[in-house]
Amino acid sequence: MKLSSVRPIALLISKELVIAAFLLLGVSFVIFIILFLSPGDPFSTMLKGQMLSGAAKAGAREALGISQAWYSQYLSWLANMLHGDFGTSTRTGLPVLGEVIRVGINTLYLTVASMLLTLLLAVPIAIFSARRGMTFFNWTSTIFTYVVSALPIFWLGYIVIYISMHQFGFFPLAFGSSSQKFDWLNFMLPVFVLGIGNGTISEVVRYLREEMERVFSEDYIRTAHAKGASIWKHSFKEGFLIPITETIATKIPFILGGAVVVEQVFNWPGMGRMAWQAAQDRDYPLIMGITLLAAIIVRLGSLIQRVVHIMVNPRASQE
Amino acid sequence: MKRYSQHSIEIGDFSGVPFWKKAAVMDLMYVSYGIFIVILVIGSYILGAFDLLPYDPHEINLDLLMAPPESTGHLLGTDFMGRDILSRLIIGIQAYFLPGLLAIAIAIIFGTCFGVLAGYWGSGFDTIVTYINNLLNSFPRLVLILLMVAAFKPDIYYIMVIVGITNVPVVASLIKGKIQFLKQKYFIEAATALGLNNRVIIFKHILWHNCRSLLIIQATLGMAEAILMETSLSYLGFGVQEPTPSWGNMVQAGANYFMQGKFWPSTAPALAILFTIMGFHLLGDGLNNILERKQGK
Amino acid sequence: MSKEPVLKIENLRTYFYSKSKQAFIRSVDGVNLEIEKGETLGIVGESGSGKSVTALSVTGLISAKPGVIIGKIGFKANGVQKNLLQNLKNYVRINMNTGRIMEINKDNVGWQKNIDRLMHKIRGKEISMIFQNPKVSMNPFITIGRQITESIMLNTTIKKRSEAKERALYWLEQVKIDSPRLRYKNNPYGLSGGMCQRAMIAMALSSEPSLLIADEPTTGLDATIQSKIVDLLAEVKSTVGVTTMLISHDINVIRELSDNVAVMYGGTVLEHGPARDVLSAGHRYKHPYTAALLASIPNEQHFREKGYLQAIKGDVLDTINMPEGCRFHERCEMITDKISKLCKSHEPDLQDISPRHKVRCWLYCDS
Repeated sequence: MKLSSVRPIALLISKELVIAAFLLLGVSFVIFIILFLSPGDPFSTMLKGQMLSGAAKAGAREALGISQAWYSQYLSWLANMLHGDFGTSTRTGLPVLGEVIRVGINTLYLTVASMLLTLLLAVPIAIFSARRGMTFFNWTSTIFTYVVSALPIFWLGYIVIYISMHQFGFFPLAFGSSSQKFDWLNFMLPVFVLGIGNGTISEVVRYLREEMERVFSEDYIRTAHAKGASIWKHSFKEGFLIPITETIATKIPFILGGAVVVEQVFNWPGMGRMAWQAAQDRDYPLIMGITLLAAIIVRLGSLIQRVVHIMVNPRASQE
Repeated sequence: MKRYSQHSIEIGDFSGVPFWKKAAVMDLMYVSYGIFIVILVIGSYILGAFDLLPYDPHEINLDLLMAPPESTGHLLGTDFMGRDILSRLIIGIQAYFLPGLLAIAIAIIFGTCFGVLAGYWGSGFDTIVTYINNLLNSFPRLVLILLMVAAFKPDIYYIMVIVGITNVPVVASLIKGKIQFLKQKYFIEAATALGLNNRVIIFKHILWHNCRSLLIIQATLGMAEAILMETSLSYLGFGVQEPTPSWGNMVQAGANYFMQGKFWPSTAPALAILFTIMGFHLLGDGLNNILERKQGK
Repeated sequence: MSKEPVLKIENLRTYFYSKSKQAFIRSVDGVNLEIEKGETLGIVGESGSGKSVTALSVTGLISAKPGVIIGKIGFKANGVQKNLLQNLKNYVRINMNTGRIMEINKDNVGWQKNIDRLMHKIRGKEISMIFQNPKVSMNPFITIGRQITESIMLNTTIKKRSEAKERALYWLEQVKIDSPRLRYKNNPYGLSGGMCQRAMIAMALSSEPSLLIADEPTTGLDATIQSKIVDLLAEVKSTVGVTTMLISHDINVIRELSDNVAVMYGGTVLEHGPARDVLSAGHRYKHPYTAALLASIPNEQHFREKGYLQAIKGDVLDTINMPEGCRFHERCEMITDKISKLCKSHEPDLQDISPRHKVRCWLYCDS
C-alpha cells in the first residue's frame, strides 16, 4: 500500500462508517416502529418522565410523559441509548445493556467458532473441487452438503448430546460443571452443531468453488504461471481473501439465528437464550436491546468486509 | 488416472455415457425429487384440510405407546402418547403451508415491485432500495421474529409476513440485476425503440419472459426457508402450540424420550423436515443449473 | 548453413475433450516447426487453426481438460538443452479406432507434477510470453512495477529488490512508456491498453529470455495503438534481437515483423517459408489456403472493381470431425481433376519446394 493512496482509503473507510451509522439508525427505527405499534405499549413505561429538554421547554402536557407523539418518543429512546441507557429488564430489573453484553460474549464465542468450523469444512471442499473438477468424490460431498444444510439443527443437537451421554457419560447441559475430564465438550459440542447445522454450508461451498474456478481461469493467472510465479500467491486476493470475507459478512445473520436454537438445545447462556426468555416474558427492553445488538454485530461484520475489500482492491478505491 | 471417453464413433451420440456423468441428468434427478416432494406436500395439505387422515391425530391410545413403524396398522408408528405419527405429520403441514405461501407471495410481489423500480428507473430508487435491502439484511431473522412475537401475538401468519418482508431484498436485487443486465444488452432500448410502452415492456417482456424462472426458483427457496422458520419457532415453543402438531414441536416433545434411547417420536418429524427442505433446495438449485446451462449455451 | 535451432517442434499434438459433445478436439494435430537464434517466426491463421494452442503447448500452459500434449519440443539455448515434453507420454494412454480417438487415460497428478518440474527453469527464465488483451493479462491487484520486479527476482540472478527495481525501470524506459517512475506505481486498472502491453513486453524481456512467444500481442488494442506496438516490437527486435515466435491472425502484423512465416490451418502447418515468399501474392508455389488468405485482405482496388469483399468459401474446419485427406480440400479452389482424388483421400506431407520453403499440397508434391 503506497503512501499516496492512504488518504483516499481513509476517505472511503469513513464513508463506509457513515453508511453503517445510517443503517443502524434505520435499524433502530424499525425496532421502534414494531414496538410502538405493539398493543403492549412498551414505551410509555420506559420513557415515563424522560424526554428531550427541548420539549420540556415547550412546556405543555408532554411533560407528564403521557401520549407523546411518536417521533419524540423515538428521539427520547434514541437519546437514552446513545447514553448507554437501554432500559432495564422488566423481569430482572437489571440494566439491559450490561446484561446483554455479559451473555453476548458467550454468543460471540459460539458464533465465531462455528463460523470457523463451517469455513474449515467448506474451504477444502471448494479448493479440491476447483482444482480437480467434478469427480465422484465431489459429487458425493455435494449431496452430503445438501443433506447437512437441510438437517433440523435441534435434532442434530439431540443426536450429539445422546452420543456424548453414552460415549463419554457426559451430559453437556451442565454448563461449567465439576466434571473436569470432559468439560471441553461443553464448549465444543454446541460449536460443532452450529458450525455444521447452520444451513449455509452448501451455499458457501458452491460460492467459494465458483469464485475460485473463475479466478483460476482468469488471464492474469495464466500470465503469472507463464512467468514462473506461484499461481496460489496471485490468486489469493481475489480467489480466497475476498470471497471468504464476503461469506463471513453475509452468513453472520444466519449463524446468529441458528445460535438462538442451539443455545436452547444446550442451555447455553447466551444472547439467543436470553432473547427466547425475553420473548416469552414480553420483556420489551431486553428483546429490543438484543435485536439492536445483533444488528450491530451484523453491520460490524459487513463493515470489516468492506474495509478489507477497499484495502485489497485498487479498483474499489477508484469507483 | 482420469479417463476421457468418446463413447461412440459418431459425434453427438450420448448413449454410451454413464448417467452420473451427464450433468443434465443429475439436475433432472434433483428436480424430479423436488417435484415429488412438492406433490407430497400439496397432497398432504389437502388430505389434512379435508380431514382425510388414517387416524385422529389427537386421539390418545394408551394401549399402544411408542409403537414402531408399520405395526398394528400405524404406518409410521405411534408416539409417546399413542397418537398416530403419520396423521400428526400430515396435519403438521398445515402449520407452514399456507403461511409459507403468504411469505412467498409477499416476497415476490414486493420484491418485484422494488426490483423493477430500482432497475428500470435507477439512480434515486436504486439507492433507496439498496438501503432498504441492507437494512433488512442486518437482522438475523429468528431474532427479528422473536421481537415480533414479543410485541404481538405469536401468530404464524404475522411471522410469515416478517419472513416474506425479509426476503423482499433478495428478490428485489435479483430482479434489479436482471433488468440491468437486459439494459446492458440494449434489450430494453430496443423494445422502447419499437414503440412498446413501459407497462408492456415490464410485464410481458421483462417479467414474464425473462424473470419467471428466476421467480419460481425464489419461490421454492422461500418455501424451504418458511418451513425452516416455522419448525424452528414451534420447536422453541412459539408458533403452533401443543397439542396441535407441528413438526417442530413434535421434535421438541420427543426430546426426553430421545435421551432415553427411544428415538422415533423425535426422529420421524425431523426426517420429515430434512427430506422436505432438501426437496425444495434441490428443486431450486436443479432449476437454477438447468437455467444457467440453457443461457450458457 | 542452418545452425542448431533454438526451438524445434516435432509432431506436436494437443488434444482437448468437449464435455458437451463428449468428443475429442484435435486442436493441434501434427505441427513441425523450427526457430533459429535471432529469427522471428510468424505464425498466421484463422481462429481455431490451433496457433495459440501451439504457443501455449510449448510452455505447457494448457489448462482445459484433458490438455494432452504429445510430441517432442526440443529447446536449446543458453546452455540448456532439453525436450520440453520429456516423459510426459508416460502419463497418457490413447486408444484410437479408425483414425478417431476413442479414449484417453491421463494421470492428471503425475502429468502436472512432471510438467511443472520440466518447465520450472524454463518458464519466465528461458521462454517468456506476452498475451493479448493486456489489461486483463496483468494482475489488477498489484502495481505493474511490482509485477516486473517479481519476474526479475524469480528469473534472473538479481535478488535484491532495489536492484530489481532499477532493472525494471530500465526496461520500462526501453519500451518507451512515458514517465516510467510514475507508471511503476500504477495499477493496470489505471493504464491504457497500449501502456499495459508495453509493461507486459517489459516484463517479458526483463528476464532476458532465449525465446519470446508473443500470442496475438496486438489483438484487443485500438488500431492506432496496434501500429505503435508493432513499431515497438520491430525496434525491440533490432536492439535486443531476441528470438521470437509471433502469433497473429493479422497478416499485416506478421508481414512487418517476421523473417519466416508458417501458415496454420486445422491444427497443422500448411506452408512454412521466408516471409517475403510466403506472403507475396504472386509467388509461384503457393498453397491455395495462403493464396485465399492473401486475397481476402480487404483491398480497396479489388472492392472497387468487384464490389464485394473477398472471402474464403465454406466454413472453418471442425476440429472434432476431421475430414479424410487434405484438411483444406473442401474449401480449396485450386483443385485440379488430376489430383482431386488424392486431395479427398490422403493428406499430403510437408515437402520442400525450395531449400527453405515447405508446402503441404498435392499440387506441388509427389505422392
